[in-house]
Amino acid sequence: MGRPLNSQNSSQPVLEVNGLQVDFWVDGTWYPAAIDMNYSVMPGKALAIVGESGSGKSSSSMALLGLLPSNSRVSGSVKLNGKEILGLNERELRKVRGKEVAYIFQEPMTALNPVYSIGFQISETLRTHYDMSPKDAKIRAIELLEMVEMPNPPASFDKYPHQLSGGQRQRAMIAQSIACDPILLVADEPTTALDVTVQAEILDLMRNLRSRLNSAILLITHDMGVVADLADDILVMKNGKTVEQGSVSQVFNAPREKYTQELLAAVPKLGAAKARAVPTSVGVAAPILKLENVSIEYPKRGRIPAFRAVEGMSLEIYPGEILGLVGESGSGKTTVGRAAVGLLPIASGLLEIAGRDLSHPKDRDLKAIRHHTGIVFQDPASSLNPRLPIGQSIGEPMLLAKVAKGRDLDHRVEELLDSVELPRSYRNRYPHELSGGQRQRVGIARALALRPDLLIADEPTSALDVSVQARFLDLLQDLQEQLKFACLFISHDLAVVDILAHRIAVMQNGRLVEVGDRDQILKNPQDPYTKRLISAVPIPDPELQRIRREARLAGK
Amino acid sequence: MNVERAENAIELKEVEGLSQGKIVTRRFVRHKAAMASIVLLIGIIGLAFSSVGLDIGTEDVKIQTTGWWKYGYSATSDVENGGDPTLDILPEFIDGTGVQIGNHPFGQDEIGRDGFARVMRGAQQSIMVMFVIGGVATMIGVVVGAVAGFYRKWVDAILMRLTDLIITIPVVVVGAVIGRSVGNLGSFLLAVFLGLFAWTGLARLVRGEFLSLREREFVDAARVAGASNGRIIFKHILPNAIGVVIVNTTLLMSAAILLETGLSFIGFGVRLPDVSLGYLINENQTAFSTRPWLFWYPGMFIVLIALCVNFIGDGLRDAFDPRQKRIITKKEKRNGETIELAK
Amino acid sequence: MLTFLVRRLGASIVVLFAATYLMYLLTAYSGDPLEDLRTSTARNKEALIERRIEILDLNIPPYLRYFVWLAGVLKVFIGQFDLGKNVNGQDVTALLGDAIGTTMQLVTVSTLLAILLGIIVGISTALRQYSSFDYTVTFMSFLFFSLPVFWVAVLLKQYMAIGLNDFLQDPKVSTPVLIGLTLISGAIWAGIIGGDRKRKLQIFAIAAAATGSILVILNLTNWFVQPGIGPITGLIMGVSFAFIVTALSTGLNNRRALKASLVVVALGMLIWWPFNLLSSFVSAPIYLLLAVITAVVGYLIGHFMGGEDKSPVARTSAITAVLMASIIAIDRFMQAWRPYTESNYISGRPFATVGSQTPNLKGSFWVMGVDQFTHLLLPTLALLLIGFAGYTRYARASLLEVFNQDYIRTARAKGLSERTVVMRHAFRNAMIPLTTLVAFDFAGVIGGAVITERVFAWSGMGSLFVEALQHVDVNPVMGFFLITGSVAIIFNLIADVVYTLLDPRIRVS
Repeated sequence: MGRPLNSQNSSQPVLEVNGLQVDFWVDGTWYPAAIDMNYSVMPGKALAIVGESGSGKSSSSMALLGLLPSNSRVSGSVKLNGKEILGLNERELRKVRGKEVAYIFQEPMTALNPVYSIGFQISETLRTHYDMSPKDAKIRAIELLEMVEMPNPPASFDKYPHQLSGGQRQRAMIAQSIACDPILLVADEPTTALDVTVQAEILDLMRNLRSRLNSAILLITHDMGVVADLADDILVMKNGKTVEQGSVSQVFNAPREKYTQELLAAVPKLGAAKARAVPTSVGVAAPILKLENVSIEYPKRGRIPAFRAVEGMSLEIYPGEILGLVGESGSGKTTVGRAAVGLLPIASGLLEIAGRDLSHPKDRDLKAIRHHTGIVFQDPASSLNPRLPIGQSIGEPMLLAKVAKGRDLDHRVEELLDSVELPRSYRNRYPHELSGGQRQRVGIARALALRPDLLIADEPTSALDVSVQARFLDLLQDLQEQLKFACLFISHDLAVVDILAHRIAVMQNGRLVEVGDRDQILKNPQDPYTKRLISAVPIPDPELQRIRREARLAGK
Repeated sequence: MNVERAENAIELKEVEGLSQGKIVTRRFVRHKAAMASIVLLIGIIGLAFSSVGLDIGTEDVKIQTTGWWKYGYSATSDVENGGDPTLDILPEFIDGTGVQIGNHPFGQDEIGRDGFARVMRGAQQSIMVMFVIGGVATMIGVVVGAVAGFYRKWVDAILMRLTDLIITIPVVVVGAVIGRSVGNLGSFLLAVFLGLFAWTGLARLVRGEFLSLREREFVDAARVAGASNGRIIFKHILPNAIGVVIVNTTLLMSAAILLETGLSFIGFGVRLPDVSLGYLINENQTAFSTRPWLFWYPGMFIVLIALCVNFIGDGLRDAFDPRQKRIITKKEKRNGETIELAK
Repeated sequence: MLTFLVRRLGASIVVLFAATYLMYLLTAYSGDPLEDLRTSTARNKEALIERRIEILDLNIPPYLRYFVWLAGVLKVFIGQFDLGKNVNGQDVTALLGDAIGTTMQLVTVSTLLAILLGIIVGISTALRQYSSFDYTVTFMSFLFFSLPVFWVAVLLKQYMAIGLNDFLQDPKVSTPVLIGLTLISGAIWAGIIGGDRKRKLQIFAIAAAATGSILVILNLTNWFVQPGIGPITGLIMGVSFAFIVTALSTGLNNRRALKASLVVVALGMLIWWPFNLLSSFVSAPIYLLLAVITAVVGYLIGHFMGGEDKSPVARTSAITAVLMASIIAIDRFMQAWRPYTESNYISGRPFATVGSQTPNLKGSFWVMGVDQFTHLLLPTLALLLIGFAGYTRYARASLLEVFNQDYIRTARAKGLSERTVVMRHAFRNAMIPLTTLVAFDFAGVIGGAVITERVFAWSGMGSLFVEALQHVDVNPVMGFFLITGSVAIIFNLIADVVYTLLDPRIRVS
């Protein structure tokens, strides 16, 4: 069966959306998710729909093919190649789904059925829309896996989703989506769950496929860097309304609306931060955290063998400096962070915190370092005990260290709330009443309760919206300048680390790959992995990103 | 997605400043079947314990009160009207006689014992056994599950083997054996011993909750703050697992009453001279064709109590873990106005 | 996976030993085994007591006596199986042998039916969430869940057995009952198939009309006295099954599957008459063999007609074959109904309330089969009602949870039909947690069986246990527990295997 390219009339838009309105019914009231959206996508072009959480970008895209839950209602007009697809009955709609319009979802681990092999799921798409025998479908599926650059396609055909890495799963998902040569690909945050280097590869893949298959892409994302890398046009949403739309160069270089300007300003740009002097204590004073040839191991659990997460790591953090610890998933950075507060024992080497040897911590050692370290966690949904009012969560370290109690404790809690710019009355509120950003602030307040010398921040902004993240980072910087604590800032996002850190350390697969001043690392990286990492980060400037990308591909 | 935001908006309006406990109570109160069941259950308990009087304990330690019902549960008297029940709930215009309770609303058996009194006494026993088994099993189950889930490794392994051991023995079988040995020591002790074997399901569930809650970041935060293991278990993890515990305790209780009545039925539960609903049914199964009321009333009470407890359990489950259950009619879908969200 | 199984088996055996030890101690200490003799007025009381002590080794304390018993159990490896004697000196092994058959039948049939029905109903209600069908079923399962099994058993004994027997004296369905059944049947079908109001009314009307006419025909042909299916009805039923199975298994678009199923039905029709001629030669082992052959032949037919994608076609035709064969077998059983009912032993009251079989009844495999049926029906129904409620709830919850998963949305986004989404993607994942449930539930079923056997006065293992326990007779109790414990463990292992087969995350690391 030949695979002709889509014979698209390049002057007619593939997708034309007019007056799209999506509402959700909750408890008797209709809430609008997307209000009066109008846009179109030409073949071979990519439109990015951008917004923060709650903007309605996902809902409006799910609405195109009727994939919303039953308590929703959609009105307006959606034309695919001139044909109206909104309001089609189920049977007609099924012919469009998967064949002319295909989806790529965010979390490939949950979006793929765990009990069937990926080969089966790809073949399934083929055999639903084409009358193919299982053998032919398998051949075609393996072709598709090759097209998405899956390692060892014939063997991968029989693999189950849990046996693949995140990047491979997403490739499988993409293979499944392009199986029937769709004229429109809807990609919902396709790279959000992936590492930066993998993200770059997937974006390359999507770009290639777009030119090969001439399909249009509707990209939904919150990441401006990805937009700059892949998209031709952009539509910015807020609270369901379209704020601004236009070509990418137009909107990025000259945003008209205030919200767009704010949004773009809040996005961290790699390499754009001001020059910063490294604090004088570096290399001179006694380090607040010292790791010498440290290895950390996760113990054997049942039949899962022991796992060496960190190997032979030597690092020092000096008082008053912010060290950014950067790495992708599996690099071991979170493990280092946990060991630095005494949550994990080390298997070998020397770990010193504030001069105290914590290589084999006893209870009194742990008690002692409580006053020197604090930690802010990543997930605002699970870092606070949902049953305790946040005042109690903040006060707990002080209560347990017997530093204060009763009214004195209340005062201190209130002071801490002030310092993180939250109203004092929040003391009695519960975590579910606060937004993600507010909860992370509570996290800082709790971490700073005992006035530590070292603050570990474990991916504190990964789960936050861009504008919320910007405010949070400002707060953290202010606090650090005021209180002069050292900070181990763990992140996978180089651009964020760029803003905050004085020095940067890069980890890969449990080992420290490179460490140095921020400017030194970002502008003149030595290690090949660091170079690859930096070049893979997309920056939210279309022209610049194109140049970087071409340089990266040339160097590959 | 915007649905969550909308749902959050309503939720937040309602639950400002309320702790988890109060939120759960509020949701529970809205569950009609559960509320009706609570009322009914309290009614039955009240009726059972007040009407015939209490008589618990051994020779040395006794609690005895008298009830307001004129007959005791073992006293015999003359058989009136073949033992026919005198309860008449149909008003006069339907069956000619007015609504009345009469002397023997649940009838009498062949030797003249009052049906109502016996059913009430039986209900007392069964209810008491239900609560005792529930209490004992919950305590053991929570402790075992919490320790196994929290400490893991060999502690977990041992406790899980122990749980497997108890699971292998069907509750009815071990219950019968226990009933044989301690049944005559009174129903309270019987219930305690039965509780010693009924905790396995709960232990498994609590263990599961602890295993997952233990990995949550706020536990790490508490540890960094210096919390001891005990504090973490009791102040941090357990309050978050309480939902599962409460829901399953009610299920356990409904199973407990069915267990006790079953055991009494085959003769290994509550025994003479005491009375249990199960025993009553056993006694009277052959009399079905002649005196069906002796069979119906005890059975109905068992079913009512178990049903109420089950509905309460369902209400609790919904209160702790609500799912949006709304159906939209087609018309509403078409016509409902969309509101303006705040900018 | 083999090592996993072996390890689980090993662990289970250790647990079994520990459990038997515990049971032994509990039982032995639960009372005095010489109680009845001590209070007897027989003149040779002393001698009897001595003798019993000797047979049962009552001089050895229980915590040691266990090992004597255990030694007897372990003798199975050398070909002798010695479970000791009961208080009357009888061999426990012999007693058990008689009792096992009936109890195992009861327990297995009711468990399998409860699972099957529970899953079907649970899935239907999950698919029709919030409909009135859903609410009704949920309420009824709550109700059944709250019923004590013995109460249900006695009610069944009274109303169904005696009621049905009375009905058979004048076997015509009375008009009010007929109307009632029609309405209920219509409502159930409308609920299961679902749809909007108009469609539901249509289905209600069709189902009610069908049920009504069937009942009227049954009345007119005096079917309740001489039941049977007959070739015409059998053909209609067979063809309907072929369509239904194909629709569920592969979708009606798969012409090959439909054709293969219809071929199987035709084959069944051809065999019908010859089978009936030769049916008197059938005995239990031959019956089983025939069942297996049916499934295999059905599968092969599908395989050959399957074209390029053989396995779904083969699966469909195998299921249809089994159903078709069941029609033929049930018809044959029904033919034995009249001679059975009219025989002297039964005298027109076939539904039994006592015992697991009619004593002294001899006859062909078919007649004995009917006898088993009439005796098994009510106890199975009692256990079924309660077990089914639990499974319905769990199946429903499991399926609803699966529906919330992302991969269901992906499946829809791929353009798969709703049937495929439900059967292939949702159902498969929903079954995984259910397997663990089945394993745990089995112990409960045994408990229920003990009580039910009492009600129906079966001399099965349940009553063996109860009798022995009354007399503090340890050996039969241990025999009972050994068997039931082993079966429970076997069920657990099977559930583990099925779980591993179903979930590749466990199977392939």
